[in-house]
Amino acid sequence: MTTAQPLVDLRDITVSFGAVKALRGVSFDLRPGEVHALLGQNGAGKSTLIKVLSGVNQRDGGTVLVHGKETNFKSAQDSRDSGIAMVYQDLSLVPSMSVASNLFLGREPHGGTKLVRNRSIVHAAQKYLTEQGFPIKASARVGALPFAYRQLTEIAKALMGDIRILVLDEPTSALSAGEEEILFKTVADVTKRGVGVIYVTHRLHEVFRISDRVSVLRDGLNVGTHNTSDITMEKLVSEIVGPGHERMAQATLSVEEGDRRSAFRNESSESSTHAPVIELRGVKNARLNGVDLKVRPGEILGLAGMVGSGRTEILETMFGLRRADEGEVLFEGKPVRWGSPNKAIAAGVALVPEDRHEQGLVLADTIAANIAMPRLPQLTRAGAFTKGEANRRAKKAVSDLNVRAPGIHTKLQNLSGGNQQKVVFGKWLTPEPKLLLLDEPSVGVDVGARDEIYGIIRGFARNGCAVVVVSSELVELTLLCDTLAVIHDGRVTTCVHTSEVEGEERLHHLVQEPAR
Amino acid sequence: MSTATTPAPAAAAESRRNVARDLFSSDRPYGVLLALIALVVFFSIKSDVFFTSANLQNIGRQTTLVTIMAVGMTFVIIAAEIDLSVASILKLSCVSAALFMNDFSNNWFLGAMVGIAVGAFIGLVNGLLTTKLGIPSFLVTLGMLGVAKGIAFVITDTAPVLVDSRPFWAVFYEGSIAGIPVPILWTIVALIIGGVLLHFSTFGRKVYATGGNATAARYSGINTDRTKILCFVFTGVLAGLASLIFTAQGHAARPDFADGLELDVIAAVILGGTSLFGGRGSIIGTLIGSLIIGVLNNGLVLIGVSSSWQIAVKGFIIILAVALSKRS
Repeated sequence: MTTAQPLVDLRDITVSFGAVKALRGVSFDLRPGEVHALLGQNGAGKSTLIKVLSGVNQRDGGTVLVHGKETNFKSAQDSRDSGIAMVYQDLSLVPSMSVASNLFLGREPHGGTKLVRNRSIVHAAQKYLTEQGFPIKASARVGALPFAYRQLTEIAKALMGDIRILVLDEPTSALSAGEEEILFKTVADVTKRGVGVIYVTHRLHEVFRISDRVSVLRDGLNVGTHNTSDITMEKLVSEIVGPGHERMAQATLSVEEGDRRSAFRNESSESSTHAPVIELRGVKNARLNGVDLKVRPGEILGLAGMVGSGRTEILETMFGLRRADEGEVLFEGKPVRWGSPNKAIAAGVALVPEDRHEQGLVLADTIAANIAMPRLPQLTRAGAFTKGEANRRAKKAVSDLNVRAPGIHTKLQNLSGGNQQKVVFGKWLTPEPKLLLLDEPSVGVDVGARDEIYGIIRGFARNGCAVVVVSSELVELTLLCDTLAVIHDGRVTTCVHTSEVEGEERLHHLVQEPAR
Repeated sequence: MSTATTPAPAAAAESRRNVARDLFSSDRPYGVLLALIALVVFFSIKSDVFFTSANLQNIGRQTTLVTIMAVGMTFVIIAAEIDLSVASILKLSCVSAALFMNDFSNNWFLGAMVGIAVGAFIGLVNGLLTTKLGIPSFLVTLGMLGVAKGIAFVITDTAPVLVDSRPFWAVFYEGSIAGIPVPILWTIVALIIGGVLLHFSTFGRKVYATGGNATAARYSGINTDRTKILCFVFTGVLAGLASLIFTAQGHAARPDFADGLELDVIAAVILGGTSLFGGRGSIIGTLIGSLIIGVLNNGLVLIGVSSSWQIAVKGFIIILAVALSKRS
C-alpha cells in the first residue's frame, strides 16, 4: 500500500486569518483504500485543513498534490471536480423528498424532454445504492429515515460520480451505538473500492476501530502521524493535549485562576455542609439511565462527556423541559415534578442554552426586551408591563456584564456572538437564580469575551448560586469547576473533585474510557 | 463601563423618544404612511367629494369591520400564526346574536354578549387545534372558514335574520357621541384596547417573544401555547364585535355577506408593516393599513372606476404599497 501514489499529498500548508496562524506548516497525506483519522482539540486546525482541501479556505503557503498533480482550488466546485467529496455534520438533504430525488437533486436525468421521470430516477438510484452496498431504499422519504440512514444517504450522494477521496467530519456525533456500526460498515466497504477516507473525530475508540493511520494536530501543527496499530490511546491523548498543558497554562493566566481557587477553599468547608440546591436520585427518562447528582450552593459542577452522552438532557431535566419517568428530582430538599420551564424558573432555576440563536434569544428584539423575557411575571403590575423597571434591569445587566452595545434598545442581531451570550446571562441576573445551568457557555465566543464569561459564572457562584456546566472543552471544565461528573450513556460514571484530576490529560482518559 | 453618561435633559428627551417608539413599535410603517397620504392627495384632486367631512366619516364607517378585525389579526400574525376564518366567525356570530334576540330574549345586551361569546368560542377552538394538536393555523382556520359559514347557513336557512331593536341599532351603528358616529367610536375603542395590550402589557411582550422565537420564549418560561390561544380568542371576540356593528347597520344578520373580507383584514395588517413571519408589527401600522384599504374602496367608487376594475386596482396597489414599505 505504501508504494501506491497518495491520493492527496499536502505539504507544509500554512493558513492565516489576519494575525492568527491557523496552520503553521502542516503535512498530511492520504493513500488509496485507507482510513486516515484526523484528531485534535477544537481550534487545533482540523477544520482549516479540511477547508483547504475542499477549496473553502485558501492557503498562504505550501503545496497541494491531488493524484500526484499540483492543484490550487479556488472553490468548492474545483475540489469536487478533482474527485474530493465532503460530508459535513449538518446534513444537506431535503427531508421532504425521497432518497432518489435527493441523490439526483440538481442533476436529474431526463430524456429528450425536460420532464423528470420519477420512476427512472428511483430505478437508477436503487441500482447505484445496491451496487455500492448502501442498505437504503431509494423510494424512502429522507425525513422518515433514522439519523444514521440519512447520514448514509449523504455519503452515498457525496460518492456519486468519480469520487476517490471522501472526507467525513465527525460523522458519528449524533449517532447511537447501533447506528455507528452501520456507518463503520459502509466506510469499510467504500475503502475496499480504493477510496481514501479522511475521518475527523473526537472519539478515540473509533480511531482504533476503523482507521489505518492517525494524525494529530495541535496549535496548527501536525504533531504526529502513526500507523494505528503502532500507537496506544495514552500516547494519542498526550499528543492531543500537548506537553506541559500549554493551553491550560495560558488560560490560567488570563482568568486569574489562583484567585478563584483560594476563594473556593475558603468556602468549600462551608459549602459542603449546605444542603444541595438540586439533587437527582436515580432519574430515568428517554435519554437518562439512572442519574444521581447533587449540587450545593456556591458549587460549580462540570458535566463532561461526549455529544449524545446525555449531559444536555440532564440540564433539560433540571429545567423542566423533560420529566423524570423514574427516580426523584429534589429542589431545596423537596421533591418536584416540573412539566415546563416556567415552574422551574419560578423556583429559581436558570438555563443558558447551547444554541443561543435558537433557544436563548429573540434576535429581532432589543436587549431590554430579551432581558425582560424570563422575568415577565415580576415585571407585571395589574397586567401592565413595567417598562421603567425592565429598562433599569437591562441597564444594570449591560453595565455589570460589560455588554458592548450602543444602548439597551439595540437589537440582538446587531451584536457580536460574545455580547449576545452576555445578554443570555443578563436574562438571569435580576433576581439571581439559585441554580444556574450552562450548556456550552463559551461556544462561538472570542477569547476575550470568554474570559469575561468565566468571570460572570464565578460571580454567580460566589453569590451562592449552584452552577452546572456542560462543556466539550475539557480545559474549560477543569478551569471553572469544583467537581466534575463524567457522563456516559445517560448515567454518571465518575464523580471527582477537580483538584484530584492531575491535568487535562487524565480527564481525557475519563471521558474516552468511561467504563474504567 | 460608565453608567452615568446620559445627562438629565437628554434623559428626558430619550424618554419622550421612547414613548414615540412604543406607539410606533420598533417597526415604523413610514413607507405605508406615505402611500396613504399619496392616495388621499390623489383622490382629493380627482374628486371634489372625497375630502369632505361627510365622506371621511363614510370611510371611517366603511372601514370599521376591517379595522376592528385587523386589530385582532395583528396579534395572531405577530404570534406567527394566521386566522383565515374571521369573516366566517363574523357570519356565525351575527346570526347567533340575531336568532337569540328573536327566539329567546329581546334583551339586546344579552344578544350582543351571545354574538361575542360565539366569536370567542370559535377563536378558542382555533387556538386549541393549532397548539394542542399541532395543526398549522393556516389549515385549522381554512377548515373553520367552511365550518362556521356552513353552520351559519344551516341555522338561518340562508335567509337574513331581522333584528328589530332600536337600542341595538343605536348602540352599534346609528347613534353618535359628540357628533362622532358610534361605529367609529367602536373602532377607536378596539384600537386603544389593542394598542395598550400589545405595546404596554406583559401579554404583548409574550406575543412578540412567541412570534419572534417560540423556542427561546419557552426556554424563558413563557407559555407559548396559551399566548397563541389568547390571540385567537381576542380575534374571535373582535370579529364578534364587528358582527354586531354589521348587524345594526342592515337591521339584519346576513349569512351571505362579507365573503372574502378576511383577505382585506390580512392585507390591512401586512400593509401596516406586521411581518407574516411573526415577531414584528404595531397597532398604528394596522390602523394605517386599514385606512389604505378603506380609502381605496371609497375613492375608487368616487372617481368612477367600474367595480370589476376596482378589485384589480386594489390588488395592484396593495402589492405596490408593500413593495414601497420594504424599500424604505
